[in-house]
Amino acid sequence: MSEMTLTRKNSRVFRELNTTLTVMARDITLLFKSPGSLIMSLVMPLIMMGMIGGNLMQNMAGGLGFDFGGFMLVGMLVNMLFMMVSMNMTSLVDDHETDFNQEMLVSPVSRYSLVIGKILGATFGAIVSMAGTLIVGVIMGITLPGGKLLLILALAPLFCLSGGALAMIMIGLIKSKKTANMAVMLITMPQMFLSGAIIPINQSSGVLMVLSRLMPMTYCLDLARAVVYAGSPEYDSMVMFNPVINFTAITVLTVACLIIGTFFYARSEKNR
Amino acid sequence: MNKVIEVNNLIKQYKGMKAPSVDGISFGVEQGEFFAFLGPNGAGKTTTISILTTTLSKTSGEVKIAGFDVEKESRQVREKVGIIFQQPSLDPNLTAEENIRFHACLYGMCGYRPTFKLMPAAYRQKVMELAEIIGIEGALFRPIKKLSGGMQRKLEIIRSLIHTPDVLFLDEPTQGLDAVSRRSLWEYIDDTRRRYGTTVFLTTHYIDEAEKVDKVCIINHGKIAICASPEEMKRTVNFDPTPKICLPSLEDAYIEFLNGGTAA
Ligand SMILES: Nc1ncnc2c1ncn2[C@@H]1O[C@H](COP(=O)(O)OP(=O)(O)OP(=O)(O)O)[C@@H](O)[C@H]1O
Ligand SMILES: [Mg+2]
Repeated sequence: MSEMTLTRKNSRVFRELNTTLTVMARDITLLFKSPGSLIMSLVMPLIMMGMIGGNLMQNMAGGLGFDFGGFMLVGMLVNMLFMMVSMNMTSLVDDHETDFNQEMLVSPVSRYSLVIGKILGATFGAIVSMAGTLIVGVIMGITLPGGKLLLILALAPLFCLSGGALAMIMIGLIKSKKTANMAVMLITMPQMFLSGAIIPINQSSGVLMVLSRLMPMTYCLDLARAVVYAGSPEYDSMVMFNPVINFTAITVLTVACLIIGTFFYARSEKNR
Repeated sequence: MNKVIEVNNLIKQYKGMKAPSVDGISFGVEQGEFFAFLGPNGAGKTTTISILTTTLSKTSGEVKIAGFDVEKESRQVREKVGIIFQQPSLDPNLTAEENIRFHACLYGMCGYRPTFKLMPAAYRQKVMELAEIIGIEGALFRPIKKLSGGMQRKLEIIRSLIHTPDVLFLDEPTQGLDAVSRRSLWEYIDDTRRRYGTTVFLTTHYIDEAEKVDKVCIINHGKIAICASPEEMKRTVNFDPTPKICLPSLEDAYIEFLNGGTAA
């Protein structure tokens, strides 16, 4: 018999972190195995930044009185993260259909580790799209200084976590891919306009303002713009909140969404 | 003896259904026992197993695995059990080995590494050993989609055994397996039982597989019809073998029983 034995490690911290890593790695592996989704990750920036952004630049940006290109690039970067992370989260519905969810849920690990792993896996694809957006930006002649870019990249996982957690609230309850895709549209479209990705929202009022304040993406965008415009004269007109407020709002909303989303997910699989 | 599975008046009524699918069943399984849970299609076997393994919520009743409550202490229960689901639950896009690796990592057997070569030697050895027993060495690195149904089943078997669970639930484990694979699988499961004292909870429609079990419970229409040893069961039926020389098999007794031909 072999000398080497395979035994279970008992450290909870190791187990949970390892679970998150494993679940994340699976989704990244799957992305590379499916050229279709990889191509999709790169085509989205072409549509969003190239076509929508390009059109806005050519037809609207003239009389705005500020550099619309820079404003929009940041908006598109963050929007791309939110959009792609939500789309990629629908793989949870595939896992339901192949019963792989059962395999995950019967394991002795925290449901949060599974969900966070799923979101981080979705994040990878989203970051590919973010990179695509940057490339389209360069072609359009819109760039960001390297240091600021790195800072935004460092914040990307946090943004994705909050976007993924929000998407989880809906996806956790959905059992068919078709419905899930519609639900993603239902979240990402309003989110793009309400949170100020491509249209400034500092003059919003009433219902639209209330809705924008409930969106985690509003605070993520504002934080990203605070990074980009730090030390520049436009800072006050571009940034709405103090970064500390943004950070707190993102954390609170993310944790709340994560708790609700994970609860829905675990419950909807179990309560049949 | 220690009861490792205790089920008390378990009821499960699915959402939107008028009648319960599992209707007040009670039974116990002892530590290390080989237990068969038999019954016709739709009797409630999978429903019961799902509740016992924490993947389905119960309507009422009490269920304990290794002394832990399935609802309140579900994590501890999950730590103890292993399961082969009736429905395949593999990721069709991953390779066979990637599916096993995923499982081993979630059960804390080893830290995740992105390739098989980088995984710890103990893991690689165990995987190769199990693959050889089941006869799928050649298919380990192929995507699940490209494996035959029987090979996929064998892979699920390897996967459920890699963390050496205390209680192993097998929901029709040999469906779709050829005779040779069935035999080698049962040899392996017997060996696991001997080596680790694993309690095995089996459902199957191949009644001959349950011939050697310690205890049989038959469930029909969501209710337990009888719990007994195979020998007792054979004794309770009025069996009239056609060639008068042979003794009734458990399968004969089972069918007699379901057809209502019992002496009791
Ligand atoms: N998700 C569900 N929703 C509603 N009813 C269900 C659901 N799953 C199973 N049932 C019903 O519950 C009953 C028991 O089903 P179960 O799957 O437990 O049977 P089984 O004994 O495992 O049968 P088989 O031998 O065919 O696998 C059946 O009548 C079935 O129709
Ligand atoms: Mg069944």
